[in-house]
Amino acid sequence: MSDYLVQEIMVPLSEYATVPEGSTLFDAVLALEKAQEDFDRTKYKHRGVLILDKDKRVIGKLGQLDVLRALEPKDEDPGEIKELRQFGFSSKFVHKLRKQQRMKAKPLKDLCRKAAKLKVEAFMQAPSEGEFIEQEASLEVAVMQLVLGRHLSLLVTADKEIVGVLRLTDAFAAVFHTMKECEI
Amino acid sequence: MKELTKLLDRIIQRVNINLRELDYDITAFVKNLVPLSQMVKFYSFYGMTPHHALDFQFKHSSLAGTYFLGKCRTNNSMLYKSDIRGDELKHGGDVFRYQKFEIPVTRDEGIEIEDSFLIKTLVHNYSHDPESLEKFFIRDTVSTHYANIHGSPSDGSFLGPFATVDLTTMWDCVIGTFSYVQAGEISHLNVGPGTVWVRSADQFNFLYRHPINKLRRYIDFAAGSAPQGIIMDFVEQHQEAFKRVFDVVNIGPSVPVPSNASLDRYAVVKPKTRISENVLVAQRAYLENAWLGKGANAQENCYIINSRLEGFNVSAHGSKIIDADLNENIFVGFNSFLRGRPDSRLTIGKGSIIMPHTIIDIKKALRIPAGHLVWGLINNSADLKANSMALDDFCKIKGRLLQGNLSFEGCGAIFVDAFRERIHHILEANGAFFDGNLNEGHAQRNQKISFNTIQPYPDGELEGLYPTIIIRP
Repeated sequence: MSDYLVQEIMVPLSEYATVPEGSTLFDAVLALEKAQEDFDRTKYKHRGVLILDKDKRVIGKLGQLDVLRALEPKDEDPGEIKELRQFGFSSKFVHKLRKQQRMKAKPLKDLCRKAAKLKVEAFMQAPSEGEFIEQEASLEVAVMQLVLGRHLSLLVTADKEIVGVLRLTDAFAAVFHTMKECEI
Repeated sequence: MKELTKLLDRIIQRVNINLRELDYDITAFVKNLVPLSQMVKFYSFYGMTPHHALDFQFKHSSLAGTYFLGKCRTNNSMLYKSDIRGDELKHGGDVFRYQKFEIPVTRDEGIEIEDSFLIKTLVHNYSHDPESLEKFFIRDTVSTHYANIHGSPSDGSFLGPFATVDLTTMWDCVIGTFSYVQAGEISHLNVGPGTVWVRSADQFNFLYRHPINKLRRYIDFAAGSAPQGIIMDFVEQHQEAFKRVFDVVNIGPSVPVPSNASLDRYAVVKPKTRISENVLVAQRAYLENAWLGKGANAQENCYIINSRLEGFNVSAHGSKIIDADLNENIFVGFNSFLRGRPDSRLTIGKGSIIMPHTIIDIKKALRIPAGHLVWGLINNSADLKANSMALDDFCKIKGRLLQGNLSFEGCGAIFVDAFRERIHHILEANGAFFDGNLNEGHAQRNQKISFNTIQPYPDGELEGLYPTIIIRP
């Protein structure tokens, strides 16, 4: 067993960026900015925002990639481009088509203006089964869940309530620290 | 008719089971598409010639209005006004070449249709599947009006109206209305309506998608309705003319036919039609004021009206040519619909290739230059520009081409060569190059043919079904 428990290295929920259900993407980005300013643990900044329902329960996570996804133009049917793969076209060919489609889209500022008004629910990821971990769990269990699920963070629970977030970067820092100790 | 109802339900269920992964249910499309009372009205018939195998076995099947030639089996199946043409099947002793393999064919190939419902469908050519050399199987499959299953074994699949699967083995697939697929082998694929897809792995990939809203004017198929649209209306308008050729027992040609040409007695020929040497006209073809030059052919479900084909023209299965002038060596692909107007004709230059499932429907005269590749849906000269290219230019493509709704990847020269080679092979197989001694083909071999008819039970629980029938020399 390692010296670390999840609760020792997680970010408590109170220090994490959260927004209520029904917020816009712009609200979420502002909440993230504020949380980053307030959070002084390390140079590693928060990369996500949790979405809470009216009972303050976590119903989803909004990561940086989810926000960028909101900027993708919807003018053309991306389904048709996706279909090209099933018709046996190379990934290079499909990439070229996507690039062409992107170049034809509106400028980034216009896309940002439009995306800022969209609701977070449309882009958030609902937490999956393997994304929860007990606060009493060891670092080994956390590493296993992060690796197998390829997650960027885990939601930490105590008595089925979410009490914090274990970020990949915090788990990595703990592992790195352990490695250095072993070397000595 | 109790057994027939049970048989239809059984076939629909079997296809649905195969298509469950695609979440596709054919019931509403197929259930009332052909009233079962129709299955009793029409006799089935088979051809006998000295050149083709005589080997039929029909078991627990309904065969209304369907034509058979060669070695064919049906079991637990319904066939409605279809053509099962086994005159290009492999023979025992042949060697089938596939990639680096030379595979001996151990016995004569046969078309085996099981647990399937084929409506006005053409089955032709031979199995191109190296894993199934002696069996051209069609299992758990439903195909609808004017579909073509051409050299394509099929299992667990559904073909919409005017769909074509060509030289492709198909497992658990849906081929949408007016779609054409030639891709070697496909599985668990739902090909949307109006897709034209020709792929040879590592060589080329041609994909065109008809603009769906425009296509619906020409052909549309919705659950619970019969196929609709301009092409369907066109075909329906000419159906009455076929009644006479199917009702009369002894019928002679209404126009002079050279001794080296073949005009099927189940084709409709209206006045002012000219049949030249080495011409092949298949059953269910319709000719009216049509000039067919030397070596030209009109395959099943072809319509050639007020048109002139100069010679060595391939009019593939289901193609329609109206008010048009075609120079020599022009290929018109499967189910293409080419319509000029009496005072605004469509002219196509020598050596052009009209891709399968192309629609050209014009109101102003249009001229396609010689040596062009043409595809898609064309109503005017601007559409032609977007949907055509000189074959010489197409041959220069190495890599990618995006033009309108066409996506092409690979080597253009190999693509064009493959088409040219195939067109030559079709002409050869049809006897277009017969010189009185060598290069005999269908046009010469299909001349001496007799037809026998068979009938279903007229009443009772087995009404519409045929008794088990085995026909051998």
